Amino acid sequence: MKQFIAKILSHAPVSDCFFELAFAWDAAAGPVLPGQFCTIRVSPYSAPLLRRPFAFSRYDEKAGVAAIAYKKRGPATELLSCKPSGETIDVIGPLGNDFFRFATAGYTHVYLVAGGTGFGPIAFLANHCAQRNLACTVILGCRTRSQLPRLNIVPSVKAVVCTDDGTEGIHGTPLTYLAALSPPQYTSSAVFSCGPAPLLAGCHEWALARGLSCFVSMEQVMACGVGACMGCAVRVTDAGANGFARACTEGPVFDSRRILWT
Amino acid sequence: MDLSVAIGGKKLPNPVGVASGTFGYGGEYEQLVDFAAIGALYTKAVTLLPRPGNDIPRIVETPSGLINSIGLANVGVDRFVSEKMPHCRELPCAVVVNIAGSSADEYARVLEKLETCPGIWGYEINVSCPNVKHGGMAFGTDPAQVERLTADLRKRTKNPIVVKLTPNVTDIRTIAKAAQEGGADAVSCINTLVGMVIDVGAKKPVLPMGTGGLSGPAILPVGVAATYAVSRAVSIPVIGLGGISGSLDALQYLLAGASAVQIGTANFVDPTTAARVLAGIREFCEREKLSCIKDLHRFIP
Repeated sequence: MKQFIAKILSHAPVSDCFFELAFAWDAAAGPVLPGQFCTIRVSPYSAPLLRRPFAFSRYDEKAGVAAIAYKKRGPATELLSCKPSGETIDVIGPLGNDFFRFATAGYTHVYLVAGGTGFGPIAFLANHCAQRNLACTVILGCRTRSQLPRLNIVPSVKAVVCTDDGTEGIHGTPLTYLAALSPPQYTSSAVFSCGPAPLLAGCHEWALARGLSCFVSMEQVMACGVGACMGCAVRVTDAGANGFARACTEGPVFDSRRILWT
Repeated sequence: MDLSVAIGGKKLPNPVGVASGTFGYGGEYEQLVDFAAIGALYTKAVTLLPRPGNDIPRIVETPSGLINSIGLANVGVDRFVSEKMPHCRELPCAVVVNIAGSSADEYARVLEKLETCPGIWGYEINVSCPNVKHGGMAFGTDPAQVERLTADLRKRTKNPIVVKLTPNVTDIRTIAKAAQEGGADAVSCINTLVGMVIDVGAKKPVLPMGTGGLSGPAILPVGVAATYAVSRAVSIPVIGLGGISGSLDALQYLLAGASAVQIGTANFVDPTTAARVLAGIREFCEREKLSCIKDLHRFIP
């Protein structure tokens, strides 16, 4: 983990609502794993005030490049989207835990489920799995065809697209696809998911009903990003944590059985 | 020049601390910050028993500010002593433990447990948290209770006692005087202001508790005015905080009468703020040929 000023190497839309921003990674900050995030100070002024957390969408250690994917959804991401290549950003990272630490339990195949901006970390994870010979299927959901991001994953990974309006791929959400699967297809499997809360909850229920493990990346408003402020709490089931865990340091990736779904 | 600050017979190495609740117990920021540049770490509030904190969401950004409703989530004094202090006492800065409680008895019991623990520079008494139902701000808005509580804690320690004041009162000077009467060595001025954000679409407050504590650049002038008033009402040192993001903000507090400052919300924006502020204060004082922080107090009567 390190705070550093990074040069933006490329910054472009990857669909009609998502952007990918690639920047020079400071090797002294250490390597980046799928599921981890960084915080970026988007303005030198007092508004927007807080740094914003962004999950990594790729990382190339040799080239010294990291990238984030995001959606314009408020003043901070609006400002960020205006920063051209060559400009610099104030980065703290890598932060949080990662997906792959949960992928070591002898799975022969994993489902990687993404909704919306979750495509970034899920694509990163898919490439990571492929490099380590863990078979995976990416299931990506978004509203409509024009929002579908370029996925940037290796061809060996099977990718399934779902759109809410049926303009591309399966008509429905990733949960529609999962529901239609029959038992031999998911034996010795697990689900890794990143996206809106209803999608995460649905993945959890689907996995639970089939006796599979599910790991979800939880999103919460964040202030410090390093575990100090207790702001980004999520509800968990274990009494030892007093009912809350910090998304920034105890997560963002949690075993879905640990989350108190409401 | 001498940037040290004398409080209650002890010295802080420099006037720039990091405020309670924004720096955890120190370890969280270890990879990002040089603690040798920090005058004091004011810890996350410690209570007698562990507290889970308030329901979520707990924070919401406002224009140039932040409203939090953390609710004193902390590990409790026993785990603080066994798990956090071993690391805290290795830090090169002063460690001021922020104490909170629901009753006078709870404050006393927390302090007594901490008294057995080496490495603590002093205590900041949190009578100003706006986010708990019992204790917190309920104490800090009543001068009689502040004086009684401070006097009771005074009997139990020789370490410096700093009483943290709430701005959510009619006249903050009466609370500061009560703390001084009770034997406080300093007051910190100010804790957060009560604020609310309403989600118009949902037609309800964003925070489950309704209100929270507003901090950040938005409250800078409120803190400076309170520091100006309090430093003229008491003879003990005033530690100014509220909305400091740079050395010019900190210098406003020092010129208003503060002897030291704390950086709060700005730590979230830039963890190196305290070091930057300290460098700016030093540079200013050298340029103005001032020999110590007290020299800043003579400009504004």
